[in-house]
Amino acid sequence: MKKIAFFMGKGGVGKTTISATVAYQLSRENKKVLIVSLDPAHNLGDVFEKKLTNEKRPLGANLDGVEIDLSAWVARYLKESRNEIRSNYLYHSAINLENYVNILKYSPGTEEYAVLWAIEYIYREYAAAYDIIIFDTPPTALTLRFLAMPSITSLWVGQLSKMREKILKKRQTILAVNPKASIVRNRPLEDGGDEDVPVQGATDKKNDKIYIKLSGISARLTELQRLFSHESYLSVVVNPDTLSLSEALRIREELDRLGVHINSVCLNKTSAEGAGRENVEKNFGGCPVFMSPLLTEGVRAVSDLSVIDVEGVKNDLKAAE
Amino acid sequence: MFKKILAFPRKLIGYITEINRTKATDMMSFEVNEMENLFAILLFGSFMGLPAPPAAMAIELLPYMENELRLMVSRADFAQDAIASVMDILHVD
Repeated sequence: MKKIAFFMGKGGVGKTTISATVAYQLSRENKKVLIVSLDPAHNLGDVFEKKLTNEKRPLGANLDGVEIDLSAWVARYLKESRNEIRSNYLYHSAINLENYVNILKYSPGTEEYAVLWAIEYIYREYAAAYDIIIFDTPPTALTLRFLAMPSITSLWVGQLSKMREKILKKRQTILAVNPKASIVRNRPLEDGGDEDVPVQGATDKKNDKIYIKLSGISARLTELQRLFSHESYLSVVVNPDTLSLSEALRIREELDRLGVHINSVCLNKTSAEGAGRENVEKNFGGCPVFMSPLLTEGVRAVSDLSVIDVEGVKNDLKAAE
Repeated sequence: MFKKILAFPRKLIGYITEINRTKATDMMSFEVNEMENLFAILLFGSFMGLPAPPAAMAIELLPYMENELRLMVSRADFAQDAIASVMDILHVD
């Protein structure tokens, strides 16, 4: 069984219901399950009738739940950056930079970044303790953006690392010709350095803090890419209507481009006869399609989760290697 | 006595060597500064409306970018009179 499962799809198709049902039924089969909601409009807690937070809470035997608070993750990440700036900058210019850091929480991309580090944290902390971690994802746009983030950022990190290597090589050459060159001196001001001459960094990769940081980011992104493409089970939830199917097809197209493949399609809220199945199968050729007939009264209590039919996707998930 | 006589030319040769070494690396130092400036511009391009990596990634590197940021600001001044700076490097009075 894969260690991670993502349920994606258009808003309102039933991602939370399907992911909660699969988590609940697996936990009743003695699998230790952690269910994590990444959706900012958290309603996973409502399904289990319990208040969920950033810290995991028990939802039943073998089942724990977490609702990722993105704003808390952004704040935590900015606080770390602010502390690092304070400890690394020699000048009080850091005061102005702090103001910039404060407004960064509104910057495009910050939320996706926070989701990534939250997923990384959850995997690192809990993968060993659980048989599977199930993620209930936010609506398509944010999900695709955070899934694409590792490969896009990797391109930048790769190019910036190459450039940094060139700078370090040039510094080495200068040092070889002129050991007293100001460009490679490394004397902090408090040790008697000259204020007119900027304090310069290291000449090799091992000592260059920027290169080390870039390598660290690169390693984390590579690990996340591997996590999404090899360790994860991805299922798209669709309804029999055309709109949700069109969006599911766009998800597949986008994920294919990122080298991440969909494992299955869950046709939710269908009729007992499987309305719309043929259409979904035709469009998702080669991808297993599992049906979950509509629960006319909706989910009213946790016990309803044992009634919803997710046998197909559950067995496929268990069999996935 | 003999040592004292030799000390002066030795010092002189030392100074000349240092001057030559500095002259030899001036242009490369300029190039490295430019590369560092470019590195900062690429990383913080979103500050000035250029395509840039995710701002959050730039912030992760920001704590270590003090020197590059100083260079970037000084290069903004330099842009006003680039020819004078190049002439300065080439020691043209």
